[in-house]
Amino acid sequence: MGNQYVEMGLSAPVNVTWEVTYACNLSCIHCLSDSGRKRDGELSTGEAMQVIDQLAARKVFQFNIGGGEPFMRPDFLDLMDYAHDKGIVTCISTNGTLIDEQIARRLNHPLVYIQVSLDGASEESNDPIRGSGSFKKVLNALDHLRSLDIEVSVNCVLTRRSYPELDKLVKLAASYGAKLRVSRFRPSGRGKQSWSELNVQREQMADFSQWLSRHLAVSTGDSFFSVTTEERRSLGLNMCGACKLTCCLSPQGDIYPCAFLQEPEFRAGKLPQDDFGIIWETSPVFDSFRQLEIKSCESCQRFDLCHGGCPAIAYHTQRKLGLPDPGCLANCITIKSLPRMAA
Amino acid sequence: MDSFCVFNLNMGVQVRREKFGLLFYNYRGPRLYFLPSQNLVDDHFFDGTQSLSELVNTIHARHHWPLSWIEERILQIMGQLEAKGLIHGQSIC
Repeated sequence: MGNQYVEMGLSAPVNVTWEVTYACNLSCIHCLSDSGRKRDGELSTGEAMQVIDQLAARKVFQFNIGGGEPFMRPDFLDLMDYAHDKGIVTCISTNGTLIDEQIARRLNHPLVYIQVSLDGASEESNDPIRGSGSFKKVLNALDHLRSLDIEVSVNCVLTRRSYPELDKLVKLAASYGAKLRVSRFRPSGRGKQSWSELNVQREQMADFSQWLSRHLAVSTGDSFFSVTTEERRSLGLNMCGACKLTCCLSPQGDIYPCAFLQEPEFRAGKLPQDDFGIIWETSPVFDSFRQLEIKSCESCQRFDLCHGGCPAIAYHTQRKLGLPDPGCLANCITIKSLPRMAA
Repeated sequence: MDSFCVFNLNMGVQVRREKFGLLFYNYRGPRLYFLPSQNLVDDHFFDGTQSLSELVNTIHARHHWPLSWIEERILQIMGQLEAKGLIHGQSIC
């Protein structure tokens, strides 16, 4: 990764995380966006197309689509077609329960990549987290996607409950020709309430770091760079990409540094009313985020591997930016217990 | 590589201009390639509408650098990008 070039400031993000709706047919206990019902003010089809036009004009390469459940939007596939026509790659994170044969056929496009979520390798381990019946429906979706050779990965959020399932999840994913991707659990949305119950213990995080170095084919995508070992150094980011490589677009068109910092104080603008280029280049929120330095980490031997870790986790657990990621590998061994989050 | 060659992006590859030069994105991964070419090559060059020799002449007219130096540098860049699987060249004569 060309950190020095990223630090010079890119003309636009490489990818935009776009949460297309708050509507969801599941109610996972760790949901970062507290999704469930569609909310007032979500972008209309016309507004969403204007947003795509703006981001395409800035040459954003990729949308990381999430929600809510994207397929709850009746116009979702039309919006994806519109983005693909402009050459934008879409990586769609879905709970998988709504993917039938017909939808799978529409997803069969060279610019589409699918991630379906599982938090356990059986009904018994998955459904208490993601909802009754969800495991079987996801396997059906994987069957449909595999039958069309659509590139797919299985995404698991690392929690105390999913941690013991990782080996089985790797095998399950492989049986569908898919790779496993592990995401970090963050205390935002409903994750605030379930944080103290579900967040992995420090010893587990240290063990997970070793597990990752033995499973180089498992991708992490986002901010596990805080526990990256030398073995995985070349596999991805070694710093937070918020406001440098990426940003987040909410279902209502609000722009934030990342999906995990959708708080009023981090709101940088609103699409399609505002000009995205002006937000990206001049927003004081984005500017201050780009200047963010985690000074107390700079003397750490791991600084080159993580640059202080995920600011969002530090913010949500300590209500302050510029502090070390409490889940970093050095912290797994040295820091005191964090106070429990208020429910 | 002949001078009447044009270059196109490979399938799944996109490119845009940045302060340091060109930023390539490859859907098939590794996702990003940073080419510190400053303003030597424009991203539109990879539309395949301009030949290698036209590019060299354009740069020469703009900067008055020696033709042989420009040619060497451009060939080096195109070779690098081909080796990374980002572009492919084709002869137009």
